[in-house]
Amino acid sequence: MATTRLLLRRGSAAGRVLPWRLVPAQLHSSQAEPPPAKPKRTKTFSIYRWNPDNPSKPYLHNYDIDLSDCGPMVLDALIKIKNEIDPSLTFRRSCREGICGSCAMNIDGDNGLACLTKIQSSGSASTITPLPHMFVVKDLVVDMTNFYNQYKSVEPWLKRKDPPPQPGKEILQSKKDRAKLDGMYECILCACCSTSCPSYWWNPETYLGPAALLHAHRWIQDSRDQYTKERLDAVNDEFKLYRCHTIKNCTHACPKGLNPAQQIESIKKLQLQ
Amino acid sequence: MASRSKLSGMQKQVLGLYRNFLRAARKKPPEECSRIKSIISAEFHENARNVDRKNFLYIEYLIRRGKKQLEQLNNPGIVGLSTFKFTSSSSAAAINISLDDQNSKPESPKLHVDEPDNKPAVNATIG
Repeated sequence: MATTRLLLRRGSAAGRVLPWRLVPAQLHSSQAEPPPAKPKRTKTFSIYRWNPDNPSKPYLHNYDIDLSDCGPMVLDALIKIKNEIDPSLTFRRSCREGICGSCAMNIDGDNGLACLTKIQSSGSASTITPLPHMFVVKDLVVDMTNFYNQYKSVEPWLKRKDPPPQPGKEILQSKKDRAKLDGMYECILCACCSTSCPSYWWNPETYLGPAALLHAHRWIQDSRDQYTKERLDAVNDEFKLYRCHTIKNCTHACPKGLNPAQQIESIKKLQLQ
Repeated sequence: MASRSKLSGMQKQVLGLYRNFLRAARKKPPEECSRIKSIISAEFHENARNVDRKNFLYIEYLIRRGKKQLEQLNNPGIVGLSTFKFTSSSSAAAINISLDDQNSKPESPKLHVDEPDNKPAVNATIG
């Protein structure tokens, strides 16, 4: 009885007549059925293109991507376009997990990391442009030297006047003092905040920008650092600090959820002392 | 000369950059100095001839690139500039960018630059 049942079951599945003998149940299906076809969902990406080797006006090029065959993030779509449609598309990328800050760009009007921004599955076209008000080197790659120089000008390293209390060992810090650095040390220098600040757009050489000021505050707040007063005096400048008018675009743009505006406010409060 | 009378800001920037390049070249050893000067003047003349006067975006890009290269050239560790030509047909085989190890001998580090046959690109770029 059991064998007949087995035969019947196999017969209905395979659609052919099997010889009358015990056929062991198979663990894997040997029937090569094609996987159910996923419905094709097309999305158009309008990507900013400019080639310095054939210089003409920059333009938005439309690319159509099948979202069912692509990862969920914008970076996946960009890589798919580069692999399959247009290898000349140029963009920076590294970690694909939102920790390096290389893939910062403007997606649908908001600055963010391409590897952390999900593709909006709605039908309308997605516009991808480089970080606003930055000089473009090629396509989505921008010139970050000014941004990095401003970070360097803040002197983002520990400065002490006297030698450490226990020479050769770490300078100790209480948990409370270490907690003061939370919300500032996580900054990955992606430049999303600085390039979203209109004040930074109009004065990029003189205003330090939210990212550099966040790092300045990180070192001002560090209990191990002994040059606090000098750091505060260095930033206490009409242009370096006080171009900030609490527009708060920086907090909205930060892909790591940090609050540069709050840190800048904190610096301003410290200046009053 | 009428062309010299009213130079626009961008033209002054380009001329200033050219002058700074020549000053940087003078600081290098004499045989290198003439080679650098010939490369620089060739590139500037080429661009002056080919680039449209109104293509501000490209000119600004070239000025920015030139300033970065000038910074590199001003570095006392750099002693020279050299170019090699490659034809676009054999570009894949001929892109042979060699940078001497700057730590080995302080007098030998060179900035190698490649120059495609019709477009002087001073930076070693893999196209």
